[in-house]
Amino acid sequence: MVCSMSTPDRPQIPQEELDHIPGAEPSTRIDAWWWLVALIVGITALLLFAWPDPFMNIFKFVQDGIVITITVTLVSFVLVLVVGMVGGLGRLSTNRAVYIISTLYVELVRGVPLLVQLIIWYFAVPVMIQSLGKAWAIPALEGFQADPVVMAIIGLVFCYGAYMSEIYRAGIQSIPRGQMEAARSLGMTYFQSMRHVVLPQAVRVILPPIGNEFIALLKDSSLVSVVAVADLTRRGREYASIHFDPIEVWMLVALLYLIMTLFSARVVNWIEKKTKFER
Amino acid sequence: MAEPIISIRGVHKYFGRVHALRGLDLDIARGEVVVIVGPSGSGKSTLLRCINRLENYDRGKIVVDDIPLDSARNINAVRREVGMVFQSFNLFSHLTVLNNLMLAQRVVRKRHPDEARQTALDLLDKVGIPDKADAKPAQLSGGQQQRVAIARALAMNPKVMLFDEPTSALDPEMIKEVLEVMLALAAEGMTMAVVSHEMGFTRAAAKRVIFMDEGQIIEQAPPDVLFNNPQHERTRQFLGKILSH
Repeated sequence: MVCSMSTPDRPQIPQEELDHIPGAEPSTRIDAWWWLVALIVGITALLLFAWPDPFMNIFKFVQDGIVITITVTLVSFVLVLVVGMVGGLGRLSTNRAVYIISTLYVELVRGVPLLVQLIIWYFAVPVMIQSLGKAWAIPALEGFQADPVVMAIIGLVFCYGAYMSEIYRAGIQSIPRGQMEAARSLGMTYFQSMRHVVLPQAVRVILPPIGNEFIALLKDSSLVSVVAVADLTRRGREYASIHFDPIEVWMLVALLYLIMTLFSARVVNWIEKKTKFER
Repeated sequence: MAEPIISIRGVHKYFGRVHALRGLDLDIARGEVVVIVGPSGSGKSTLLRCINRLENYDRGKIVVDDIPLDSARNINAVRREVGMVFQSFNLFSHLTVLNNLMLAQRVVRKRHPDEARQTALDLLDKVGIPDKADAKPAQLSGGQQQRVAIARALAMNPKVMLFDEPTSALDPEMIKEVLEVMLALAAEGMTMAVVSHEMGFTRAAAKRVIFMDEGQIIEQAPPDVLFNNPQHERTRQFLGKILSH
């Protein structure tokens, strides 16, 4: 906690002096790590335009996979934020049943590898639904066909929702009890107090780990390539198996992932800085 | 005594195996200012927190303004009418002062934003910090924060105000500004239950002082009677400690 202690005796530097410190001028206060993003983009562009064969060919082949990867990640992430909030509130519930259900969810899901979960959702769950449909004679279930993208998103959300629940729980617990008590003492209900007082403060606290989860989710979305989703990774594998040039393909795929993750990391960092001093 | 606005009957409260409140009876009349004193751990804060059910009690009955504290619906109804001021202020730290005062008016009382804003500004004026409406709580001194907290509670137009050691977390020079606001409130006829060892305030405003020890009310009397002529040995010992300085 040493780093967060206030230092009241620190000399106040006037703004005009601050503006003359090299690098501290508002316009040039750009996070230096943006250069790394630029560097990776530059290397990728160099490969694409200096050696269009094979790199531009690979890029054109995998570009619809990039769209799938981004779509799956963004849709999953939005849903993960919702599931995590519900799970986190459940973990803090005084209702015994709600607490047990959400705790079981978190503990069980965290203990099974994501890849295994994705395989279960795509290969096992549809068969289960079909046999249930047969047993109960419900034609709609009997003819159930799993859409790979939908099942992949469900799988990612189910798994990451559990991790996110714990992040929300920690964030909510970090807000002093007095905030909730003050809200309740004014006649606000539990959910009104959560929505207007506790959660807005908790979200600021958990922004860094939420950002980390987004980047982890972006990378882990490559696992959906195993369950018939034509994402960046799967398209890369398809290209490599046709043209037998794994070095170039996987180098470019890795660079494309790097561009997305490094860019996301910078955006997360920027949001953190913007909200840091508003607490 | 006229029809009491707060009626507490046989209230027991346990914290695990600690018997914090031991069958308390207390009535507070409309417009009465009651100050509760007692040693640390005597249950005075717990008693206060039971009145708006921030603390559950295990046995007994509390009725506030004819509403018994027995269902979630009734508890929220009572809380709308009972304002509370905390030792640690508990201002909503992500909101400006103005929004601290407006939030519950909007969410609970469903007031129009213009009306809520006007109420808030009037109250900030009343507690003496009209120029801090757009400040964040962290930018205010402790005394200012506590005055905002009082204004926030008043914005709901409560019938009763509870003060839980409102000046204990303040530097000496800020205590006065908070007590002045509380004195003005008492003079207006607000019903107040105050846990505090501020003797000046107690003498000036309290109609009745209640001495608690070990979860029970030991004795109660008007301030000059209790301070000058305590009947019980325990009261005498306690007053000896706090009046000697």
